[in-house]
Amino acid sequence: MSSIPSDAEQVIEFDPVFLHARREAIVIFLAWAAALFWAVPYCYLTAYGIEGEVPTVWGIPSWLFWGIAVPWVLADLFTVWFCLCYMKNDELGHADDEDGHGDHAVSAADKAEGVAS
Amino acid sequence: MSQFSSSIESVLSSATLAASGGSNAALVVFLGYTLAVFGLAALSNRLMAGKNFLSEYFLGSRSLGVWALALTFAATSASGGSFTGFPSKIYTHGWILGLWIGSYVVVPICAMGLLGKRINQVARLSGAITVPDVLRDRFGSAKFGLIAVSLIVFFMAFNLVAQFKAGSEILDTLLGGVWVYDASVSWVAGITNNISALQDVDPAYLLCLMMFGLAVVLYTTYGGFHAVVWTDVMQGVVMVFGVIIMLPIAIWAVGGMDTAAKKIANMTPPNLCLVQVELENPTADNIAFSSPWFSLKGDDGKDRLFRINKTLAIPAKTSVVEHVKAVEITTPAEIDEQMRDPGQRLMDPDVVADFNTRMTEFVESQIAAAGDETTKAALRSKVTALQRNSTALMTPELGLVNFRVTLALGYAYGAGEKGVYAKGPGPSPTRLPSNPGTLRIASSEPDAEIRVLNSDGKRIVITKAIAAGEDVFVAVDEGDYKIRVVKDGFSVAEKNATVTARETSNVTLELSPASGTTHQAKFDDESIQKPSSGFLPFGIAISFFFMWAISGAGQPHSMVRLMAFKDSLTLSRSMVTVAFYFSAIYFPLVIIFCLARVLLPGMELESDRIMPQMAVTLTHMAGHPWLAGLLIAAPFAAVMSTVDSFLLLISSALVRDIYQRNIDPDVSEKTVKRLSFLFTFLVGAGAAFGAINPPQFLQDIIVYTGSGLAAAFLGPMVFALFWPRANEQGCIAGMLAGFGAHLGMYVAGIFTNGSFFKPHQFLSMNPIIIGLLVSFSACYFVAKITPPPAMDLVRKYFGKRA
Repeated sequence: MSSIPSDAEQVIEFDPVFLHARREAIVIFLAWAAALFWAVPYCYLTAYGIEGEVPTVWGIPSWLFWGIAVPWVLADLFTVWFCLCYMKNDELGHADDEDGHGDHAVSAADKAEGVAS
Repeated sequence: MSQFSSSIESVLSSATLAASGGSNAALVVFLGYTLAVFGLAALSNRLMAGKNFLSEYFLGSRSLGVWALALTFAATSASGGSFTGFPSKIYTHGWILGLWIGSYVVVPICAMGLLGKRINQVARLSGAITVPDVLRDRFGSAKFGLIAVSLIVFFMAFNLVAQFKAGSEILDTLLGGVWVYDASVSWVAGITNNISALQDVDPAYLLCLMMFGLAVVLYTTYGGFHAVVWTDVMQGVVMVFGVIIMLPIAIWAVGGMDTAAKKIANMTPPNLCLVQVELENPTADNIAFSSPWFSLKGDDGKDRLFRINKTLAIPAKTSVVEHVKAVEITTPAEIDEQMRDPGQRLMDPDVVADFNTRMTEFVESQIAAAGDETTKAALRSKVTALQRNSTALMTPELGLVNFRVTLALGYAYGAGEKGVYAKGPGPSPTRLPSNPGTLRIASSEPDAEIRVLNSDGKRIVITKAIAAGEDVFVAVDEGDYKIRVVKDGFSVAEKNATVTARETSNVTLELSPASGTTHQAKFDDESIQKPSSGFLPFGIAISFFFMWAISGAGQPHSMVRLMAFKDSLTLSRSMVTVAFYFSAIYFPLVIIFCLARVLLPGMELESDRIMPQMAVTLTHMAGHPWLAGLLIAAPFAAVMSTVDSFLLLISSALVRDIYQRNIDPDVSEKTVKRLSFLFTFLVGAGAAFGAINPPQFLQDIIVYTGSGLAAAFLGPMVFALFWPRANEQGCIAGMLAGFGAHLGMYVAGIFTNGSFFKPHQFLSMNPIIIGLLVSFSACYFVAKITPPPAMDLVRKYFGKRA
């Protein structure tokens, strides 16, 4: 049983599902960061420590409307684009238990590894 | 007298009606819903025939489609917290909750998309059925699997108890007023009265706990994962319809969004009070009033309006009930509106006016009958004090019911501030004493100022004795206190007193004349409580962006669902579905329960009940009380869908990860089946047992367990799935370090904030951020300084398929 070398990417040809999943995770993380850097500073600057009456849009405080409600709609649109246009439709493989039958409950991995590793 | 009693009784009965479902139609809707749940469980059980039992029972044979994945994911995430704790927080803190859940704009894409595709693939590669399975197989480490199992069982056990409490309270609200239910409660009360361990448990709560526990445990045990998923789908539909129905009715009920916005903009937070209730004629039987209102005259002659928390229970032959919790409304427009409108489940103002007239006539006759002027003056002084402290209810059975406010605390943040519910950081309540006792303070001089200091020198109460010889009652937590009485022209009088819970300590202070003496309001040994920085300071707002979106990805019960979908197209379409689903639920909930502040004032001390109460109120106002059953089914569905998922998560951990993989690897399918049923049943029964005396803070427990699971699991899982160099040592270190750092912040909260559930906020950050930072760092650095993983494992999970 050998150990992974430091330059693993040159030794192993990575699975494309792994590479796609990693790239998609990075984009999702950036989307989260964008939501954070818009919503919290905007709401903080317009809702905290303000004097007098809070302006409203359709009865909702305007800081909430522009800071959260509108970005929410935009985020939903982004989700639609990301999921239906950007994400790869990868083949995820096939587990042995999907065949269904078997006279006892040990999984494919257990069989391969002798169970109580 | 009869006129009083009839008016008061009608007021009380309407309050009782409003506080309960009170409708057989609600019961029918609820029973129909429960039957549907059992039907789905039966279908699911039939589906298991001919399939690998463990994979089917705990993972649905990895076959979930778009709607099933989307709605089981959404319904499991939207737990009891979403429909009880979250509305409670909105009601208590106002519009700022919109920012608190602001990260829900990206929760679906983060919670499902960050790990979804990869964890599903790795689970297929390894044949993993549970989350500990994935970690164990990824690193070939039985030790890692056992650590993961231990943490899951630890957190989920806490969470289950909280969810059982939520489910039982919702059921109680739904069924209250239905005669079959009320009769059953009386029957249970008859039994529990004879069992000392259950005497302090509300029989209605206990009955609901048994019904809820039995239903959810049975259908989960019988149906397994598919039953849970199918009921989740149904429950998810019920939830979104509940919200969609409530929103327009709520807007209509308050007279439109603009009207509500103006009212909210003028609101000031209430005072939280402890009240002493004194009866003229104690009764032979126990009696109870459901959330009664009462009013007093303030020092300035204006009406003060109070609402008692939950039920005012008066035991038989008792003349004084101490430390009753109440909320004092402080917004003048709300007081006027509630006092003016007899249809508002409040006291009839005519009753109050009539009573006051008769009181005045009685007092004047007594004064007129008094002999000398000194006696008359003393009587007038007494009357002034009496008027300040008395009057609300009068019934033929009880005579005069006298209410005396012994403690009235303003909010720690936002007290007296108009518009605080519409801006940041949102109002923050003060904690009432948890083990209160009473100080009965007698001052020799009228108009003297009474200050009560705790053992740390913090001034906790400042009040005034109006009349000479008038006793002032002050409720405080048990402990040692210094009482200081001051008045210009007199020397300061001080005494120490020890207060014991549920006891009254008498203190008498004599003031000696000292001509020319004036006392400034400042004393060197007095300090006041550090002002609160409000509900959602900037740092905490950032923390919650991590909390929901990032920690959502780190929840084991979410990961299990991500292991169960059939292909990546299903994942992407489900993410879109969940995005729209959450949009239709969470933002409308913020609107609905901000409007609840307008419709149902004075529920701050029982805000966990605001969702069912609002459902009942709205459907009554709309003239369709039967709809209450459907609306209350929404939070009930939320709790059920979470409980069933957690039950399976724990039982799968015990059966698969502990028994099969460590004790008897060759166990037969028949035994596994029996063990799965047994453990699911036992875990559910154990949680129901733990919920008999439930913890108080539902949402706090849910936040603690949710953030704790994320702190422990997210880092190791991210590294396990995405970093080939990750190894067993690094990921175990990350899991334990994240768990420890998160727990450490909560334990530190005991010392810095006085409560485990008020965690220490290092640099104003929630423990989740500290936990995640520590966990990710430990995963990385420990992996770097320890040997790299075996090449065959890396090839298996990262290498290109042949």
